[in-house]
Amino acid sequence: MSTRIGRALGLALCLSLPALAAGEVELSATTDAGEVALDGTLLLRISATYSSRGEDGELKLPTFADFEVTGEPSRAEQMSFTFANGSPSFRRTVTTSIALTPRRTGDLTIEAVKLVARGKTLQTPPIHVRVVPAGQVRGGRSSPDPFDRPADVDPFADVHPGQRDLILRATVDNEHPFVGQQITYSLYLLARANVSSIEKLQLPRLDGFWSEDVEAPQQLVPEQRILDGVPYTAYLLRRRALFALRPGKASIEAAEVQVLTGFGMLFSRGTSRRSSQALRLDVQPLPPGKPPGFDSGNVGQWALTATAEPLAIAVGQPVTFRLVASGKGNVRDLHLPALGALPGVRAYDPTTTDKESIERGQVNGTRTVEQLLVPERTGSVEIPALTMEIFDPYQKQYRTLHTSPIAVQVLAGQSGAVASVPVAQNLLGGGGLRPIRLRMASVQRATPPWSEPWFWPALALPPVGVALALGLAGVRRALRVDPGDRRVRLARSAAEKRLRGARALLQRGESVAFYAEIARAVTGYLADKQGVAAAGLTREELAAALAAKGHGEETVRRLVRILDDCDRARFAPGSSDAPVRETMLGRAEQVINELDRGRA
Amino acid sequence: MTPLLALALAAADPSGLQLFADANAAYLSGDVSRAVASWEALVSEGIAAPELETNLGAGYLRQGKRGLAALHFERALFLDGGDDDARADLTELRRGNVDRLEGEAEEGGAETAARLLRPLPGFAASIALAVLWGAAWVLLALRVFRRGPRWCSLAAAACFAGALLSALVTWGAAAGRRMALQRAVVVAQSVPAREGPGDKSVSRFEIHEGTTVRVEDEEPGFRRVQLANGLTGWVPAASVELVVPPGWAGRPVAAISPRAAR
Repeated sequence: MSTRIGRALGLALCLSLPALAAGEVELSATTDAGEVALDGTLLLRISATYSSRGEDGELKLPTFADFEVTGEPSRAEQMSFTFANGSPSFRRTVTTSIALTPRRTGDLTIEAVKLVARGKTLQTPPIHVRVVPAGQVRGGRSSPDPFDRPADVDPFADVHPGQRDLILRATVDNEHPFVGQQITYSLYLLARANVSSIEKLQLPRLDGFWSEDVEAPQQLVPEQRILDGVPYTAYLLRRRALFALRPGKASIEAAEVQVLTGFGMLFSRGTSRRSSQALRLDVQPLPPGKPPGFDSGNVGQWALTATAEPLAIAVGQPVTFRLVASGKGNVRDLHLPALGALPGVRAYDPTTTDKESIERGQVNGTRTVEQLLVPERTGSVEIPALTMEIFDPYQKQYRTLHTSPIAVQVLAGQSGAVASVPVAQNLLGGGGLRPIRLRMASVQRATPPWSEPWFWPALALPPVGVALALGLAGVRRALRVDPGDRRVRLARSAAEKRLRGARALLQRGESVAFYAEIARAVTGYLADKQGVAAAGLTREELAAALAAKGHGEETVRRLVRILDDCDRARFAPGSSDAPVRETMLGRAEQVINELDRGRA
Repeated sequence: MTPLLALALAAADPSGLQLFADANAAYLSGDVSRAVASWEALVSEGIAAPELETNLGAGYLRQGKRGLAALHFERALFLDGGDDDARADLTELRRGNVDRLEGEAEEGGAETAARLLRPLPGFAASIALAVLWGAAWVLLALRVFRRGPRWCSLAAAACFAGALLSALVTWGAAAGRRMALQRAVVVAQSVPAREGPGDKSVSRFEIHEGTTVRVEDEEPGFRRVQLANGLTGWVPAASVELVVPPGWAGRPVAAISPRAAR
């Protein structure tokens, strides 16, 4: 029977859907409960999501060894065409629902469902269901999926229509969500009158929320409801998934709809305008205790996996590292961990791809970060484990997701490659800690010489020694004096000393002694300075000797006259008076000056 | 553990080569703590060798102690300015430093000058200076006082020229050494630099382990440090360690190093 059902479903899928071009396919299977009574039923939902046009393929249902299939499988299809990240995105989801009745109690398994499509075989994991004896199932249907809206939540429980024929009703499934947690906003039209069509629907602005369409029916699908004992027909107009962006009080304004009521073209045709009530939400902040590195967008139920392909490669060839986060939540706000720099590996900028799908009113998503890694060294390269901190709003706790480290073996490139093919190279870049040194070649602890106390005195010693030697030589030279030179040097001062003595004698009135001293001053100067001994020479010889030394004739003549005058005054005393002697003193000084100048 | 190792070292092998080899073996087998303790024992014994300091730096880096690792790499470079391993490891370590200096590259200015001057052969140059200087004066004296031959004058001039060259090299080496004596490394993980030498002074900025600073002044419990870009502040003395420790290269033991005191 199951095989027949599978064939029927495959045929139905092939017949009812347009032919689509090749593309990616995702397959998932869920049940509406994790526990069921033996006399109860279980609903198995199989969702095949096609992200591009193409054949649907063949759905292979399992044998259902532990269950019986109740009734005919139903099939629903949803198509969406959205712009994501600036590019169009097409998604089509075909959902097959099968009601199952368990055959026995215990832990039963629904086998894997397979889908062969576009050259691939997809398979869902087996689903484990606990079956309890009849009548012992716990209160209500316990769903394993915390995202499921509880079955007992009636959006119209608090609606009291009174006498109104048309009511526009807005509801949310959770008035106290966490930041980043999905809430579902639904807009229903409740009618007692006949509704022909919706002419205009004005949805409220959803400031403060990230929103995503969940259901946007193109046709009015009636659903019968009893409100305060009055039968109403409920029409779902729109269902959107909302993700609150910040904590605090939030409001969703009223929606408006314009409804055409009546039958056909003639009977009681009319247009009515209705507004919904505004909604108030209390968005809760994420609880304290955020782990380090937690990003506020990582809210939801996520799984993180990392793969690298291939795991053995020649150096210089690329390895594709793929980090995938998939689960339930707002994938667009998800922040995945980055792969750090790997020594010996050149990493290119990663590319990020997001996929979204709607499953049972829940926004699911997959974010894939692909990064091209090019090993530049041979050997083993380990791509380290990555961690991502998330907040699970249903468990109300933070969780850390881990990937496993991946080892990639990098082999040397083959030699002898064709010249046009890029040769793989073992690129040995610098960096990294160097190996330790195994030998101590030198042991040093020296104080530099210039810091030693002997250094600067040692430098000063040679110049000081030379200076001392020079000084001693100077002293020695000063002590060794020639008497002749001394006499010549002191001749003038000796003559002046005698002239001063003569002046003293003049003042005392000792005439003879005065002239004798004048004569001694002149002859002494001649002997000392000029080297002429006047005492042993005649006046003529004296004059000739002085002339020979270059003195002027007039100077020599005045000198001779002075000597003659002195002799005369000494040997004929009283022949001169005081003014004459005074004049003699001046004449002697003048002559000595002239001789001194002439000598010079 | 370190004093025990030091005692063992003194009793068994004065040169410490065996302990050095044992420490290396421990490091290579992954027992980094034991290797570091053994190398520290050698240091406490007074052995100063660039290889020992480089290995200590590597050990501390493996332990995640970036400040102490930088300190020992700096010491290795002080002992041997041409130690390529220590320089490469220090460069690698600095890439991961928390502190990034704005306004001047860390390898610029005084740092570059110190790097250029440090390899100068100051020891040999100072000996050459003393010898050439003395010889020049002796030759000059011979020429002047003893009427020595003409070559005495030429030789004296050559000696004076050589002495001048040696003096320049010695001056450069001394300048580099003076800068090295002021160098210190932040060993605390993070430390506030304050406006004055007191815990209640305003904190102007923070510096982190591994950053090299220049110690400009000291007060009890505090050191005034300057970064390569001129930022200056007072930090607790225990948070920075001098590259040239007391007792090394003529630095007096009285210069207090918290780690040496411990």
